[in-house]
Amino acid sequence: MSQGNLFFMTLTTGLMVGGIYALVALGWVIIYKCSGVLNLAMGELTIIGAYVALTFYQMGVPFVLSIVLSLIIGLVLGILTERIFLDRLIGEPILTVIMVTVGLSFFLRGVVEFIWGTDTRVFTPAVFPLKPIKIGFLVIGSVYLWSFVTAIILLLILVGFFQYTRWGLAMQATADDEMAALSLGVSARFVYAAAWAIAFMAAGVGGSLLGNINGLNISVSYLGLLVLPAVVLGGLNSIPGAIVGGLAIGVLQNFAGAYLDQFFPGGVKQIFPFVFMVIFLLFKPYGLWGWERIERV
Amino acid sequence: MAKGFLPCGTYHQDYAHDHAWWQTRFVKGKMIFLAIGLFLIIPHLDSYYVGIVNMIGYTILGALGVDLLIGFTGQITLGHAAFMAVGAYTSALMVLEFPWPKIFIHLGLAYPLSILCGAVLAGLWSVLFGLPSAKVKGFYLILTTMAAQFVTVDFIITQYVARIGGRGQAFSLPPGTIKIGPWIIDSPTKVYYLMIILVLLCIGMVANLLRSKPGRAWMAIRDNDIAAETLGINIIFYKLLSFFVAGFIAGIAGAFWISNLAAISPEHFPWSWSLWLVGVILIGGTGSIQGTIFGSMFMVLVMEALQIGILPLADIYPQLLEKFLFVKESTFGLAICAFLIFEPNGLSYRWWQIKNYFNLWPFSY
Repeated sequence: MSQGNLFFMTLTTGLMVGGIYALVALGWVIIYKCSGVLNLAMGELTIIGAYVALTFYQMGVPFVLSIVLSLIIGLVLGILTERIFLDRLIGEPILTVIMVTVGLSFFLRGVVEFIWGTDTRVFTPAVFPLKPIKIGFLVIGSVYLWSFVTAIILLLILVGFFQYTRWGLAMQATADDEMAALSLGVSARFVYAAAWAIAFMAAGVGGSLLGNINGLNISVSYLGLLVLPAVVLGGLNSIPGAIVGGLAIGVLQNFAGAYLDQFFPGGVKQIFPFVFMVIFLLFKPYGLWGWERIERV
Repeated sequence: MAKGFLPCGTYHQDYAHDHAWWQTRFVKGKMIFLAIGLFLIIPHLDSYYVGIVNMIGYTILGALGVDLLIGFTGQITLGHAAFMAVGAYTSALMVLEFPWPKIFIHLGLAYPLSILCGAVLAGLWSVLFGLPSAKVKGFYLILTTMAAQFVTVDFIITQYVARIGGRGQAFSLPPGTIKIGPWIIDSPTKVYYLMIILVLLCIGMVANLLRSKPGRAWMAIRDNDIAAETLGINIIFYKLLSFFVAGFIAGIAGAFWISNLAAISPEHFPWSWSLWLVGVILIGGTGSIQGTIFGSMFMVLVMEALQIGILPLADIYPQLLEKFLFVKESTFGLAICAFLIFEPNGLSYRWWQIKNYFNLWPFSY
């Protein structure tokens, strides 16, 4: 493979995977924007959705329908999680809230491992055709292409939901100024629950798509950690930032795998987003489009 | 958390008395009983129980550094296992690979020296990842400490350090290599003696640091870092000092733990272990050394009790035994959530209340 070809192949693969990251990152940002919770349980949200979808698919339900079913379960679980665990913690210090999400992630992970075990499972029969698709000189696995398309469609739906529907506007208003939104009759508790439900659903779809690419096991929850570099890059409370950050982290990760692996053999692909994040934080801690916070005594 | 109230009718007349460790005769008596328990009773228990106590001690050593960072300096860290791994690997490598002069090995100095080197190296490594704390805080600092975990354990140690000498993934420590002076550390009881000395030394070091200038600076930074800076505290220096001390203790913990293991591998220091340590101090109560001890005891003992409690159920539902690890994870997660929601001050707050009740009795007003 020629050098230029490798470059474009890496770029497209990175963008395609980045689409999935962007979807999950969007879920993360929605929770943070609406309720101020910094969620470290995102990885567990992805595997729960993915395992539910896989279980339905294995039972013979068509893939699209099993995704929809996992969305419904995600909705219920999201609302329950918010009501049981996070509703009581509004206004608590940052460490408390983060550690509750960490506790939540331990709990959910234990439950998932208990129910589904730790072996890698694959979607059988394969959901997407195995034959790669050729566009010009690029050869792309059709799994990647379809995942990207699905992720982009969902991203568009979510952005549309925020810009044009009544509920979406209510969520934006709460994120902007909670007090003003409350006085205009927006129910903050509804908004928090909706944010968690959306995050659960987005993460579940992201996990199912990634499970289609690599097979599904507990390590898919690594996706939930990869979201963090993405949102740091884009800015913690910026929806366009999350999308751009997700795509950029996907591309960066694949470039690191393609070009840096010869210098640092081993898992440089998994580590590079975090190294990048630390360096980025040193220079631009609020990300590309995040709000700068000015502190006073 | 403030000190407990003094018993009725006890007053301080000078500063030396006010700053004393053990302020009344009753407390001194309690400490003598504690010392008898620690040094004379526990070592003679069954080795299974000594093993559990060793686990508690290891957790205390690990959580002490986390408590120093989170509870006293306000720098949240979620990557402490990385520094323990640095200590453990430094110590193991020095014991196994370093060309010690014969006399050192003969006198049994190799392992104690390697503990010290491991601790210093872990402290410096911790400072390296604490550097961003000069610029960022809160959530962003959490991210950099997480990155410390992934870069150190999952990349540098797994891919490079663990392969030194063609050992593959796990370093095995042949019996007899872990030796302090004339004693070879090979039974739970001997590990226990090493543990109790290290734990007491570390607790003494941290407690003394906390009541001197660095400790007051750390607490000022925790309470309000901008105000602390205007008071003339060099906040970057003291934050990094806090990272160094925390890493130092983590290094000691890691280097100590290899005496209890036949082999070390990166799987002994996963990210979940870092989170576990933070959970331990939250359950015990942040910003309190007793809290670290209570939290460690609580978590280790509850997990053991869970294991014992689940054994009879295994007859009915045999899969439970092989899935015990997952039950443990879930229980730990639920315990953290429950403590944060219902008892945010942790176990040490309850202890404080009980102590005050007895100190003030019968006139509690």
